[in-house]
Amino acid sequence: MAYVAIVDDEEQVRKALMRLLRASGLDAESYASGKDFLEASALREPDCVLLDLHMPRMTGLQVLRALQAARRTLPIVIITAHDAPETREQCLAAGATAYLRKPLEEHELLDTITAALGAKTR
Amino acid sequence: MDSHSASSAGASPGLTHAGWQFSPRATWAAPALLVAVGYYLAARIGFAFTLQPYPISTLWPPNALLLAALLLAPTRAWWWLLAAALPAHLLVELQSGVPVVMVLGWYISNCSEALIGAGLVRAFVPWPLRLDSLRNAGIFLFGGALAGPLVSSFLDAALVSLIGWGERGYWDLVGTRIFSNTLAALTVAPLILTLASIEIPRLRAARTVRFAEAAALFAGLAATCLVVFDLPQFSNHTAPALFYAPLPFLVWAALRFGPAGTASAIAVMVVATIFGTVNGLGPFAGSTPQETAREMQLFLSAVAVPMLLLAVVLHDRARVELDAREQRLQLTHLSRVAMLGELSGGIAHELNQPLTAILSNAQAAQHLIANKSADPEILVEILRDIIAADQRAGEVIRRLRTLFKRGETQFQPLDVNELVHEVLGIVHGDLVTRSVEIVPELAATLTRIHGDRVELEQVMLNLVINACDAMAGIAPEQRRLTVRTRKVDVEDGAVQISFSDCGPGFTPDQYAKLFEPFYTTKPRGLGLGLSISRAIIRAHHGRLWGSSTPGKGASFHIVLPAPRGR
Repeated sequence: MAYVAIVDDEEQVRKALMRLLRASGLDAESYASGKDFLEASALREPDCVLLDLHMPRMTGLQVLRALQAARRTLPIVIITAHDAPETREQCLAAGATAYLRKPLEEHELLDTITAALGAKTR
Repeated sequence: MDSHSASSAGASPGLTHAGWQFSPRATWAAPALLVAVGYYLAARIGFAFTLQPYPISTLWPPNALLLAALLLAPTRAWWWLLAAALPAHLLVELQSGVPVVMVLGWYISNCSEALIGAGLVRAFVPWPLRLDSLRNAGIFLFGGALAGPLVSSFLDAALVSLIGWGERGYWDLVGTRIFSNTLAALTVAPLILTLASIEIPRLRAARTVRFAEAAALFAGLAATCLVVFDLPQFSNHTAPALFYAPLPFLVWAALRFGPAGTASAIAVMVVATIFGTVNGLGPFAGSTPQETAREMQLFLSAVAVPMLLLAVVLHDRARVELDAREQRLQLTHLSRVAMLGELSGGIAHELNQPLTAILSNAQAAQHLIANKSADPEILVEILRDIIAADQRAGEVIRRLRTLFKRGETQFQPLDVNELVHEVLGIVHGDLVTRSVEIVPELAATLTRIHGDRVELEQVMLNLVINACDAMAGIAPEQRRLTVRTRKVDVEDGAVQISFSDCGPGFTPDQYAKLFEPFYTTKPRGLGLGLSISRAIIRAHHGRLWGSSTPGKGASFHIVLPAPRGR
């Protein structure tokens, strides 16, 4: 079972996404901050990450750059409630696999995760 | 009345606040009827105000009534109104045994007085005349109350001499008529003009206490006038001082009830004075009828003119203040809406988060039910979370709606810490997307201050947005905004709210311009935020100022006084 990590500072969003992914047959864990995720992912590497862009202290972009700096390549799907055209480019340039706007359409989300998992296995 | 006027009397010509409204189909019947009846009654009053055996009235209101009617009507209706006065004039004058030729001569001179006055006024002030500015009042006084009676009196005396009615000399007639008709123009015409301009809905909306105040004013004035002008005189020496007794009431009327109230108060005083005088009572009685009339007319005219002008000036000033206040409210609202526009990205974030939770929760539930793996307890939990997220979105909308609304300033007791929470709630999305961390340092207990919730939130929002903008150029992890509330002990319970950022701060030169309107350092700013914020805080009797160590951030502080009488 593929393991997806959800990183979002909003508890309600974390819980909802975790329920959806688990109900869709995926293994999911959630983290409230970039720091928590980086620490945990060192112990158990996820197959895919849903990463919120705007989080206090450490933003999604900073997490991406930290992973880049550590030469870790993970399929990362950026999820954001605040869509600005320039951030999409920044995220893709920093190594994100995909960029999705909240609220997340189920099919789009699952298709994106599936595609990201496929890319990893290839 | 002919059949035409009788049939059209059912139409609805009306006295509106603007003047008589005439529809294209001649609906002049009701105003004409009003003029005829008014003219007849005014003439009866004029006759009653005659000092026997002197045959000329001390106050002749029909001409002033005609003048007011013409000023309220559009020019094309003037002839109808003047024609309507003829039957009333004939009816009232022929009863007194005056030859028909003289009666018609007086009709001509009376109409000429109204026409001269109204024509002069209309030449300078477009229809309808409103006695609400010094200019309009001045033109009315000059044209209607001075030129009209003056010029028509020469014509009137000439007609009397020509027809050979009576035995009095030309100049005597001219002088007597001028004073009598000027006094009428000064009292009757403004009364009609100002009463016609009263807006009925506003009158209906007035509170009972206003009516009580008006009743007290007019009762006091009537009682004073009764004592001063309608009692037998004990001593001639006390008379001059007594003349001033009604003045406080007239000033009261000018201060509180505008031109309409003042014109009404003047009318009360004039009626009381003339009533006493024609009955041989009050301070003016005792001389020959001619002298008595002249002294009284001069006194009443001398009181009426400045009081009317005072009322008009005060009314005009109050209107200008009201306009300025309205504009200030509009500007404040516009700047608030513009500010919320700046926040739109953050607001979208704030709504998208709960929407994400709702959608993903609902879809998860669908899966669980479809897979028949739905544990009722989990479904209940999901529904509870959906409701909570929905309520959160509703809260975002509620906060915004309050700020978007345009309303009157409403002062109420407010908890400053609660306001801070509310404001931080509104900007939460922006703070998150701009990576600004809030460091709250809120006092545990604070005095409730007295203020307008929306306006104070606007000021705080403005300061928070400014602080965020100021920190846009520094590293995201350094963007911290400290929000501090505290009691100002030296100011007896006043509350201070401070917003301190970690941006570049400002120099003393920049600070000097910071609160000026249209000064901005932002590429897309209007430069109104701080100047409006300061105006709002001043209206709350508080202070708003900034402090900065250049390179180490800026702080803005608000001090709001505790309500007095605690």
